[in-house]
Amino acid sequence: MDEAIRVESLKKYYGKFAAVDDISFNVQSGEIFGILGPNGAGKTTTLEILEGLHSPNDGSVTVLNLDVLKHPKEIKSRIGVQLQSSAYYDYLNLLEILTLLASFYPPNVRANPTEILRKVDLENKSRQRVNTLSGGEKQRFTIAASLINNPELLILDEPTTGLDPRSRRNIWQLIEGINQSGITVVLTTHYMDEAEALCRRIAIMDNGHLIAVDTPANLRASLEYQHAVKLTVETPLTEAQIVSLNNLDADIETKSENTYAIKLKGGTASLDLLLKSIVADNVKFQNLEITPVTLEDVFLDLTGNELQEAP
Amino acid sequence: MIQLTLHNLKIMARNRHSTFWALFFPLLLVVVFGLFQVGNFGGADVNVVNNSTNEASKEFIAQISSNNFFEVSQVDSIETALTRLNNGETEYVLTIPSEFNYNMDGTLSLQYTDQDPQQNEITLLMLSNLLNQSNAEFSSRNLIQTIELKKPETTYFDTVLLGLVGLGIMTNSIISIAVKISNYRNQSILKRMLVTPLPIWKFFASEIAAHLILAIIQAIIILGLGILLFGASIRGNPASLLFIILMGSIVFLNIGFIMSAWTNSPSAASGMGNAIALPMIFFSGTFFSVTTLPWIMPVVSQVLPLTPMLSALRDIGLNGYPIWSVWQDIAALAAWIVVTSIIAIKVFRFS
Repeated sequence: MDEAIRVESLKKYYGKFAAVDDISFNVQSGEIFGILGPNGAGKTTTLEILEGLHSPNDGSVTVLNLDVLKHPKEIKSRIGVQLQSSAYYDYLNLLEILTLLASFYPPNVRANPTEILRKVDLENKSRQRVNTLSGGEKQRFTIAASLINNPELLILDEPTTGLDPRSRRNIWQLIEGINQSGITVVLTTHYMDEAEALCRRIAIMDNGHLIAVDTPANLRASLEYQHAVKLTVETPLTEAQIVSLNNLDADIETKSENTYAIKLKGGTASLDLLLKSIVADNVKFQNLEITPVTLEDVFLDLTGNELQEAP
Repeated sequence: MIQLTLHNLKIMARNRHSTFWALFFPLLLVVVFGLFQVGNFGGADVNVVNNSTNEASKEFIAQISSNNFFEVSQVDSIETALTRLNNGETEYVLTIPSEFNYNMDGTLSLQYTDQDPQQNEITLLMLSNLLNQSNAEFSSRNLIQTIELKKPETTYFDTVLLGLVGLGIMTNSIISIAVKISNYRNQSILKRMLVTPLPIWKFFASEIAAHLILAIIQAIIILGLGILLFGASIRGNPASLLFIILMGSIVFLNIGFIMSAWTNSPSAASGMGNAIALPMIFFSGTFFSVTTLPWIMPVVSQVLPLTPMLSALRDIGLNGYPIWSVWQDIAALAAWIVVTSIIAIKVFRFS
């Protein structure tokens, strides 16, 4: 399969601070590739190097088989970019902004602004200004703007940050539609559900390092345990009860006096054993939560940190 | 690039508020100075040159001073008074002869221009009345010798009007570009431009082009208002004036780009722009000649970019000199363009 992006041993320093510290990955043509990590992990810096906004201190980066240092202009005319917080001219309407942006590209790649607005469902707002749009609409517009040159590769920096759940789903559908039309998509996010829902493969970044790159399923499977159990009991467990639970293939951690976090290994079969054991030991529980492991758990396992601060 | 320039102009046209106020300030000054010039309806501004030292002359001056019709100031020499008359800074020069007394052995001399014959008549009448009141005995005698001069070639208002063209273009260029670029940077619009294949020089060139067009429109409005409404007379080749206006405008746009790089917010950029522009308005002789300023001020004035711009505009616009005669001012402006361009390119920040 073709490679849309190849990053090898990329390093980027700001003074002594390594924003991106020796990372390598590649993005296949046609996939949705996610870079997942907390704020300050180096996601945006990585994207901005791909976009030609910064030059790498070390390593090599090719986009659409072109070296970013040697062919910035050709890359720019073949990729679409949505910046994390880009605004647009206050005094122009949507159609005018798109027409203006289109004029920056070679004539043979320019898309029809009206058609682009239809694609993101903003056709009826084409005469409005950006500041009259809702958060979700604004974000759809910035995605529309990034499609103005019929790009082969679309780079989106946190496309849903700050949006309400409905708008987020809306954007996900839009991104999926764009991808199905044959455009490779690279996006950053700090929402693990977004990465899971959209991305074929995910790169996990933390503190400028790349920790893992794989499909969401493989990343989850890489954990020792497959289920996370949260048990809340009426009275604290006795020694005997704990020993009994420990006989299952599980790690038990006491979270507070009467809550326990259990990492349950051994797949679905051990769920059955857990329930039987709770009944057999006569544990009086108030609440029992069993969730399959998520990318959140993967991130925690790999970095020792939470991906997001608790809500 | 033409697209971008047109869009820039569209943005300015729609950003009516700031564009209007940017144009409004110099226009307001044009109106103020224009009214000030023709504003002494029913009164006369008189410069008195007293060649006598006797009590009678002092008494007489006190008498006209106390009359509301006259705005009297005493001037030491007839030369100064006539220069002021010629510059439009006063309307009448009254000379009192050394032998002035109540016997009226000498004759008073009143000099004025033919700019406003009606007012001249009234003034003469008022002056005669005063003399008659002071000494009825001599009322039959014609005591005043009048000298009517040609309307001066250039008035103070003409001089100020060209100063206001410079002022308007300077403040507008510096502040509007500084605020605009600062805004673009804060909103990541500059960054958004950088991820397109648009060569960045085209972005700047179109910003400058749009502002130059605005500067031309501004100059036309200011001069038009001054000429049509307040009768200013501006000579010289319009193309030469335009050339100087464009050169000056480029210098000030560059300064605006530099201001935007040195500040972090649009309001700071605006403040810094004002801090640069306001002193320049005074030290470059927009309203009054800088040669009379004390200490090293005249030297300071010479190194400011507004000074050669105004000097060239006035030589061409007031005296009708050809453009090559102001080559020194043009060279100074060209040097300013080179220096400010280099600094602007060096300090400019995209984010």
